[in-house]
Amino acid sequence: MKKIYTLLLMAFITSGIWAQDFKFGKVSKEELEEKKHPQNKEAHAAVLYRSQKVYYDFDERSGFTVNTEVHERIKIYDKEGFDWATKEISYYRNNNGEEKISNLKAYTYNLVEGEVIDEKLRNNGIFQEEASNYKLKTKFTMPAIKEGSVIEFRYTLRSPFITTIDVTPLQYTIPLNKIDFEIKIPEFFGFRFHFNPRSSIYFKIDTASENFTYKITKQVREGGTRWNPVRHSTRTAKVDYLQNVYSIQEENIPALKKESYVDYLENYAAFIKWELQFTKFPNSPLENYAQTWEGVTKSIYNDAGLNKELQKTGFFEDDLDALLVGLVDEPSKARAIFEYVRKKVKWNDYLGFIAENGVKKAYKEGQGNVGDINLLLVSMLSYAGIQADPVLVSTRNNGIPLFPTRTGYNYVIAGISSVEGTVLLDASDPTVGYGELPDRARNWQGRIIRKDGSSDWVNLSPTYISENSRTVNVKLLEDLNVVGKCIKKMSGLEAKSYRDSFAPLATDEYIKILEKDRGDFIVTEVSNENKGSELIENYSFELKDAVENISDQIYLKPLLFTSLSENPFKAEERIYPIFFNYPKVESNTINMMIPDGYEVEHLPESGILNFKDGAITYKFLVTQNGKYLRIESILDINEIVFNPIDYKNLKDFYSLMVEKQTEAIVLKKI
Amino acid sequence: MRKISFLVLLGFFTSLLTAQERSYPVSTIDNSLFENANAIIRNDEIEIEVTAINKMFIRTERTVTVLNELGEELIWAGEVYDDDIKIKKQEALIIDQDGNEIKKFKKKDFQDRSLVTGATLISDARISYIDYSPKVYPFTVQYISEVQAESTIFIKDWFPVNSYSLSVEKSIYTLRNPAKIPIRFLEKNLSSHKIEKFTSEFELEYLVEHLPAYKFEKFSPGIKEFAPLVKVALNQFSLVGVKGQAENWTQLGKWQYDNLLDKKMELSPETVRKVKDLTENATDVREKIKLIYNYVQENTRYVSVQLGIGGWEPMSADEVDHLKYGDCKGLTNYTKALLASQNIPSYYAVVYGGRELKDIDEEFASMEGNHVILNVPYERENIWLECTSQTSPFNYLGGFTDNRKVLLIKSDGGEIMETTKYTPSDNLTETKISVTIDETGNFNAQLHRESFGVPYGLIYPVSDLDRSSKELYYKKEFGHLKNLKIKEINHTNDYLHPKFLEDLKVSGSKYGSVLGKRLLLPLNFTNLPALNLPRSSNRERQVEINRGFSYKDHFQFILPGSSILEFIPNNTIIENEFGSFRIEIEYAQVDGQNMLIVERSYVLQDGKWPAKKYEELRDFMLNINSLSNQKAVIVLTD
Repeated sequence: MKKIYTLLLMAFITSGIWAQDFKFGKVSKEELEEKKHPQNKEAHAAVLYRSQKVYYDFDERSGFTVNTEVHERIKIYDKEGFDWATKEISYYRNNNGEEKISNLKAYTYNLVEGEVIDEKLRNNGIFQEEASNYKLKTKFTMPAIKEGSVIEFRYTLRSPFITTIDVTPLQYTIPLNKIDFEIKIPEFFGFRFHFNPRSSIYFKIDTASENFTYKITKQVREGGTRWNPVRHSTRTAKVDYLQNVYSIQEENIPALKKESYVDYLENYAAFIKWELQFTKFPNSPLENYAQTWEGVTKSIYNDAGLNKELQKTGFFEDDLDALLVGLVDEPSKARAIFEYVRKKVKWNDYLGFIAENGVKKAYKEGQGNVGDINLLLVSMLSYAGIQADPVLVSTRNNGIPLFPTRTGYNYVIAGISSVEGTVLLDASDPTVGYGELPDRARNWQGRIIRKDGSSDWVNLSPTYISENSRTVNVKLLEDLNVVGKCIKKMSGLEAKSYRDSFAPLATDEYIKILEKDRGDFIVTEVSNENKGSELIENYSFELKDAVENISDQIYLKPLLFTSLSENPFKAEERIYPIFFNYPKVESNTINMMIPDGYEVEHLPESGILNFKDGAITYKFLVTQNGKYLRIESILDINEIVFNPIDYKNLKDFYSLMVEKQTEAIVLKKI
Repeated sequence: MRKISFLVLLGFFTSLLTAQERSYPVSTIDNSLFENANAIIRNDEIEIEVTAINKMFIRTERTVTVLNELGEELIWAGEVYDDDIKIKKQEALIIDQDGNEIKKFKKKDFQDRSLVTGATLISDARISYIDYSPKVYPFTVQYISEVQAESTIFIKDWFPVNSYSLSVEKSIYTLRNPAKIPIRFLEKNLSSHKIEKFTSEFELEYLVEHLPAYKFEKFSPGIKEFAPLVKVALNQFSLVGVKGQAENWTQLGKWQYDNLLDKKMELSPETVRKVKDLTENATDVREKIKLIYNYVQENTRYVSVQLGIGGWEPMSADEVDHLKYGDCKGLTNYTKALLASQNIPSYYAVVYGGRELKDIDEEFASMEGNHVILNVPYERENIWLECTSQTSPFNYLGGFTDNRKVLLIKSDGGEIMETTKYTPSDNLTETKISVTIDETGNFNAQLHRESFGVPYGLIYPVSDLDRSSKELYYKKEFGHLKNLKIKEINHTNDYLHPKFLEDLKVSGSKYGSVLGKRLLLPLNFTNLPALNLPRSSNRERQVEINRGFSYKDHFQFILPGSSILEFIPNNTIIENEFGSFRIEIEYAQVDGQNMLIVERSYVLQDGKWPAKKYEELRDFMLNINSLSNQKAVIVLTD
């Protein structure tokens, strides 16, 4: 019974699909006639087939090269899919070599009066762009595109950079019907592969090995001794070796869905990264690349010059000794050094975990890249007797390192190890506080690397709470205008974000921002001051249309202009995790005096909301004391990453919070 | 007289030579220049030297003190170039606030990359610029360059204050012309400033000192309407090796026709036959034009390829016919060729496309515009075709090319013409909504909305979104409605009489608040786009509203069965020179159902008003917002 069922099912599946031929040029009528993608009716285009073959080639002059042959067939369903008729291939060059595209061939297929008509991509549709000194692009756009067209292209990318294999894409933002991937790597190269752990799609990868032979033909010069005149002869040598073959054949890979509030969409696509672990050529010693964290750490300390940079202290010793006079405990020393480096060396906007200019030069010139600045910081902290080490970081758009690697990182910060834990410092940012990291450096985990070769993961997400608390004291006048004062206290990353966004603005520009979208709201006497690590803002205001007077009753929103009027979560469903930037407390307290001749008719009820065992909580408290009303609204975001499964509850939580904040207070004329 | 000018000339020139010697401490800047400024131009010297019809040198020294982060975009230390422009010299200094040099950029330190951005697939334009991000303000950048250019058709304007929040300590412009090519120039808005100048048949010099920064003001004219500007052109010129001469739009248009457009319209006999068959049964010529436009939309797509003579020459019609794509020039020329094959004349029209209304300057002929559309005169009508869109209706311009001066390039010369203006009543958005509310404030609603004119062009692309994006679009637009669920969405695009219909079924909760037995019911189920304008105590420039709009809303609230009305706001009508607003609220019982019916309309006129009227406009909008926000009170009876 079970067997029959399976057979039936198979028959059912195959009957719906025509036999497709993925040979280049064999585009069928059925493919052209298809009006919509069978599984995803809303897709504007789909990759019907993608084949990617990667292999090493050898020739005597240039040695090994890595070749990538790509063949893709794309169906365009409607006008919104026309962008897929344009393709961009990026490749690289540097002083050691240049990647090259060859054998680019492409056709557009259309159904014209029942006939399959093809149109070739000619040179006038192919463009070369030198995007920068290192980056080249070949772009092409297909001729004769209309709704329903199928395009097909193939090309070979030949690369002299044999120790790097590009990321293998396995998913697009449109459906991918069939992928055929194969990579053959000679035994001389020890590569390991890593699937993206953030993608939920499973791919089966087959591994095998096969024999391979290449022939070397050499002109050999012989003789030249007295009895033996010079002769030239041709000799052929044969080298046999093994190739490791990895392949994937997969069908019906769904489109990568775009969503908002995702840290970086490409981080969720299915792909494979290739990591070189070693090379071992005949008659050469094994060369280790990155196999273990210890290897990575040592290679960074020794080969990348970290050791050298951290040992240079002579140039700052006098300055630092002077700075540290009178400071006894470690934290105050560390703070002083952090502030000093930050003031002394400005960031030049370049990333990197290596000191680009060298710490000494950066110190002298007062500017440097991230490596210059934070390695200088580590070096100074160490000099002051504080246990500090570099922490390797990968910025958000640089992806997440999946394996011990040097190249996966592009940023470095300083980590102080103490009994309380690790304190992370980034002196490249002018507004971030001690122990805090700017956005760009907060990507998942970093790797602290120590001189002795040991290393550990370090959590980069903040564990401290950033605060944003507003106290608004208002008086409701008899003409029903509201006047008052607002005091806002900010700490941690909330204070940083305020400094970044508003510090550069002139006062009247900033007033415009405060007044924006708050109705007839007039702000005066704005000031702000730093109090320790806190930032305090003060202003006075007048609010004219906050109150509604309806038949002897006054209606007003309890939180006045500070309320959240819309739920930020609007979509019904969610695929990717939800990220809040950092843990924080957002509180608004309104102290209100009610005008003479009025009394309270209705107050919203106090209440507490709790999401996921206190991961997020919301308190809304209303108290009345004679003529005074106090409304407190406190949102605590303690955890910052939530799985899609929690999305609906989170959305509901915010809905309830918005409801609370928008329920009216009613006052009645006595 | 002549001699004095010569002295002045000499004085200018030496300042350029000594420019590098000067240090630029911030302390020497006059206080008035800090006001409203994000950056201050310390010294801006442009010297253009025309040595031949196809050769000129442009020497620049631009020293800018940046006061804050926003000022960084005003530095402009770089050159945009292509095969036609050679950068001979490029260097920059970063100077701290005391005038000390911090960093030096030599030519090799400049970043060089292609200027392919956004929707453009390819362009030969490149940019060479310094990449410097300081973390301390103020600082000063001194930029010095010399470029050699062949296309003398583009002579840099003198536009000393080319941005808001930018003040100028000193700006000098010199045009030297050893080649003695006659020039034309047009001065604008110079009168209210103390400007020293020397002008002759061949040469120009301008100097100005102490220009304070302009503050951005909402609803204000474009900056070129009030800031000093001198436009300059050579009467004999070259564009990427193609020489020409022109003194006015007629001649410049004629030259463009002869050199860029002519002989680009050939089509294969097969295509001509196809178009003939297509239009054979058309009832009249207008119908033929429509059929041909539709054919272009169905058979081509837009791809931006900015190559060819400086990006000014269209691909030939035959090539577009073959490739089935083109940029605005190529597609417009192609449509023109298809029309011509049926003996229908039409004209290539160069325009500034964009939401802001920007004219081709009627008074001064030079290479202008950033987009091309097609003008087809038919009887007494001017039909305009946007050939880059596969979805735009026939003769629809929308907010991208409406109501502005364009240049028609005809075989006998250029001609300035205005495109269609949409009046406030053309730009109508009409909404009819029926809302059923229960005792707890939960609601179900049916929305019907019709959009015309410019709003049509803004809304119809929503019909191409996928279902979940559509939902998200409405959830954002109606963000004030709580727990909104979109149950049904129907769109009808009436392409023939541009009109977009939206029919939605939605539900949600807490529409209004339940306070004991009372239900507080807001009357604005949808919000009007009346702006919350910023206050402006001393408005400087006139108020300009470029486009008028009108809105008509009809809301029918069906109330819970067991309820009585306690309060409804008064009917109100406001009429003034900016437009009008009207709200009428009526309580009715229909078929045993209690209903509130709200009729609301809002018209915003386009026009120009003196600066002092700004506060009145602001009040008008504040008033509209608070009148729309009024609520009714319903008492629930059990």
